[in-house]
Amino acid sequence: MKRSLLTGVAVVLAALYLFPVYWMFVTAMKTSGEIFQYPPAFWPASPHFQFRAVFASYNLGRYIWNSLLIATGTTAITIVLGTGAAYALAYVRGFAVNVALFAILMLQVLPPSLMVTPIFVAFNQVGLLEWPRVAVVLATAAKTLPFYIILCRATFTQVPRELRDAALVDGNSRVGAFLHIILPLARNGILITGVLVFLQSFGEYVYSRSLIADKELQTATVGLSTFLGADANDWVGLMTYSSLYVTPILLIFVVLQRRIVSGLTSGALK
Amino acid sequence: MISQLLKTLRDGDGFEAALVLAAIGYLLVFAAFPLVYNIVMSFQEVDMFSLASFDRPFRGLDNYRDLIQRPEAWEILRNTIIFVSCSVVFQLGLGFALALFFQLDFPGAGAIRGLFLAGWVMPGLVVGAIWKWIFAGDFGVLNYALHSAGLIDKNIFWLSDPAYALAAVTIANIWLGIPFNMILLSVGLAGIPEDIYEAAELDGANRWQRFMSITVPLMGSTLGAVISLGIIFTLQQFDLVAALTQGGPANASNIAQYWSWQMSFQTYEISAGSVVATLMIAVVVVVAAIYVRSVQHEHSA
Amino acid sequence: MFQIEIEHLNKSYGHARVLKDISLQVPLGAFVALVGPSGCGKSTLLRTIAGLEKITSGTLKIAGVVVNDKPPRERDVAMVFQSYALYPHMTVEDNMTYALRLRHRPKREIAERVADVAEILGLGLLLGRTPRALSGGQRQRVAMGRAIIRDPKAFLFDEPLSNLDASLRVKMRGEIRKLHQRLGATSVYVTHDQIEAMTMADMVVVLRDGAIEQVGAPLTLYQQPVNRFVAGFIGSPAMNFVPAILVDDGNSLLLGGDAACRLRLGQRRAPGRAVLAGLRPEHLTLGGVGKAQTFAARVESVEGTGSMTFIEMSIAHGATAGAGDAVMLTLAQSGISTVRPGDRVTVGIDPADIYVFDPDSGLALQADPAP
Repeated sequence: MKRSLLTGVAVVLAALYLFPVYWMFVTAMKTSGEIFQYPPAFWPASPHFQFRAVFASYNLGRYIWNSLLIATGTTAITIVLGTGAAYALAYVRGFAVNVALFAILMLQVLPPSLMVTPIFVAFNQVGLLEWPRVAVVLATAAKTLPFYIILCRATFTQVPRELRDAALVDGNSRVGAFLHIILPLARNGILITGVLVFLQSFGEYVYSRSLIADKELQTATVGLSTFLGADANDWVGLMTYSSLYVTPILLIFVVLQRRIVSGLTSGALK
Repeated sequence: MISQLLKTLRDGDGFEAALVLAAIGYLLVFAAFPLVYNIVMSFQEVDMFSLASFDRPFRGLDNYRDLIQRPEAWEILRNTIIFVSCSVVFQLGLGFALALFFQLDFPGAGAIRGLFLAGWVMPGLVVGAIWKWIFAGDFGVLNYALHSAGLIDKNIFWLSDPAYALAAVTIANIWLGIPFNMILLSVGLAGIPEDIYEAAELDGANRWQRFMSITVPLMGSTLGAVISLGIIFTLQQFDLVAALTQGGPANASNIAQYWSWQMSFQTYEISAGSVVATLMIAVVVVVAAIYVRSVQHEHSA
Repeated sequence: MFQIEIEHLNKSYGHARVLKDISLQVPLGAFVALVGPSGCGKSTLLRTIAGLEKITSGTLKIAGVVVNDKPPRERDVAMVFQSYALYPHMTVEDNMTYALRLRHRPKREIAERVADVAEILGLGLLLGRTPRALSGGQRQRVAMGRAIIRDPKAFLFDEPLSNLDASLRVKMRGEIRKLHQRLGATSVYVTHDQIEAMTMADMVVVLRDGAIEQVGAPLTLYQQPVNRFVAGFIGSPAMNFVPAILVDDGNSLLLGGDAACRLRLGQRRAPGRAVLAGLRPEHLTLGGVGKAQTFAARVESVEGTGSMTFIEMSIAHGATAGAGDAVMLTLAQSGISTVRPGDRVTVGIDPADIYVFDPDSGLALQADPAP
């Protein structure tokens, strides 16, 4: 009895906390007149969506496509470069490894809004801004790579070293032992961390805003911010835009929630 | 020679070394180099005209001196301190309260707790957009709620009133930070063995005494890690400011990391932007070093 | 013919020397146990043979070929790990055949070998399972199967039984021994359990602090330990060490320096010095019969297990034995004893069973034939 009461309290707390998310979806379902009612309605009179209209008028398809490209590129670089490094840093011990780990932790905390100035100037000098989306991918991967290495390393430390030893004695090379024995066993952790990196870069803003000048190449976050100017009043449209943008993210989150939570915590505190 | 190299790559330590060096090499080029370049630029004259040049006038500490003499510098410093300290205090307090609550044994505790992270996976800019709508002066749902509760008689113009703009950004940031604080603190709480509490209970300690004499001291290093991470994440916050106030009105809600970006990308005072970035990165690195220490301390304990 | 030859092998991590000038020759087909307390370097030595650890200097030969710089896969040895290290994402059969598949052996040959090994180890019904679904004992068998399916140049065992419960351990001990007799393959077996080493091996290597203390057949180590460490390590319960003085021109000693505890020795030692007398608990008898030398003692505590009784006793001691505490001794006898704490007893020992050690170097003092 008392325990189910606590569950009730927990649900209320979660509902209170998630109210902004709810408010986004509800606003998206209202009409433009309805949102300026006072008192505000907590459920629309006749829910309806303007997905298609918003998709077209806000050029959302183009923006989402750019975000997807950048997220895919960033995730690919991060996984390709980060997985092996995470494995090596988990399996090798010594002074050099500690130094490398410390450096990686330090690079992980650099705020993009502060790093973007030198990156912009340097990329401009070497001509990388000719390919603005590539520039964003390269800059974002430098941010996600340390994060990925730290979390993935935690996964690899859970694969017993004796398994690698057994594979070596059984006749494999180090490369083979890594690919055939250790990698399959760390697959889940790699996948979850990869998803986190993807979600992070899918919502990236600072680098896209600063390095991409061409409107056609900009991402969904930059698009949203341009519509968010001081005189923004099409809240139905903006919340529909936001809903369309974050619903896939939220769905992925709900499906992988448990694993994301345990993956995150293992990396941040160990 | 070549075959020996191939051999160590395949069978020796060369394999692991190559893997690490590939990642480190990337980070050197795209993270460590910009970091150094940032410091260099903070001593140079960099603006629209010298942007593409490799040979820029050296200005030494003049850039730093100019920056301190700007009238807005101190206001922004004050804003940044308020923003960071209020964010961290409330994220930690609310996060800790929620973590303690979800530590109680009831059906669905884990699953409901996980839902809180939904806010955390959403792009910061979308979160900013939603809060901008919630904060809206005339039709915002927050004013309606405060009004109904009898807390205010006149609508607050959260985003355009200089007295409230910083508070609005801070509230949104607290909302974003709560879940992460809660989850990390939950892990710390779960790491305290149940039998220590039972022993204290047998010794006659009540709930409050158990909290003060067991939970708080044993959570010490976790709290250290969570506070440092909170400061780091708050100093990384950019999207919310961009979506909500753009630092306005008249710098009332401007914070250092946004200011740095504004100078580099809106007024093209790139040297000044680099100076702010250099100073802030120094702060972040110090906090991060404390974080790493407290985590390693916990790991070895 | 030696299957494994180690000459002046050294291994350091930075400044820490973990293996010091190890020289060892393992005959073809021998079963050699490496034994010693934890941290003595026995596992490291095994891992250097496997190629999992690099050696700092010295030479290591397997089947006559120097393998110093060869990776494990070129050494053709098989290893059974303490944690078994079964690949969790493979079935039992795939675990066992992994090495053969890596060597691209024909499918028919692999199938035949699997059938053979499954038959030998009784794994037939488990081949399709994953390691997760197996009991500890079954996992241990699969780990053995993975090794013997290969017909390697040597088997390396790294404390393979330490994760099993006591009764299963005794059973597997016998099975591994039988397996060795059947296959005749050269085996190196690391254990911290001296009983395991004594019962299984033809040859025991005692290690301490990264150096070899003694190499020999199990009973040789028991009967002729070269130093105090080996004498104390081999045998259970451990040997008693009692400060003593050699008297009577080296033909007798005074236990605890006390004239009342005078024991004649089987063989004369160089006279006139303080020594340590080594007395095995199982060589001590209550009362003393036959050729036994005797001395008086006081019973302090008695522990009986039914089949054995362990009696803790103190003996009087003189000034030379050092001030303070009484000298304590343990006596082991089979069956149940009627003595009680506080009883005064007479303890006897055959002179041939008394060991004498130098108290400083710990070396065993050999018979000194000079008069």
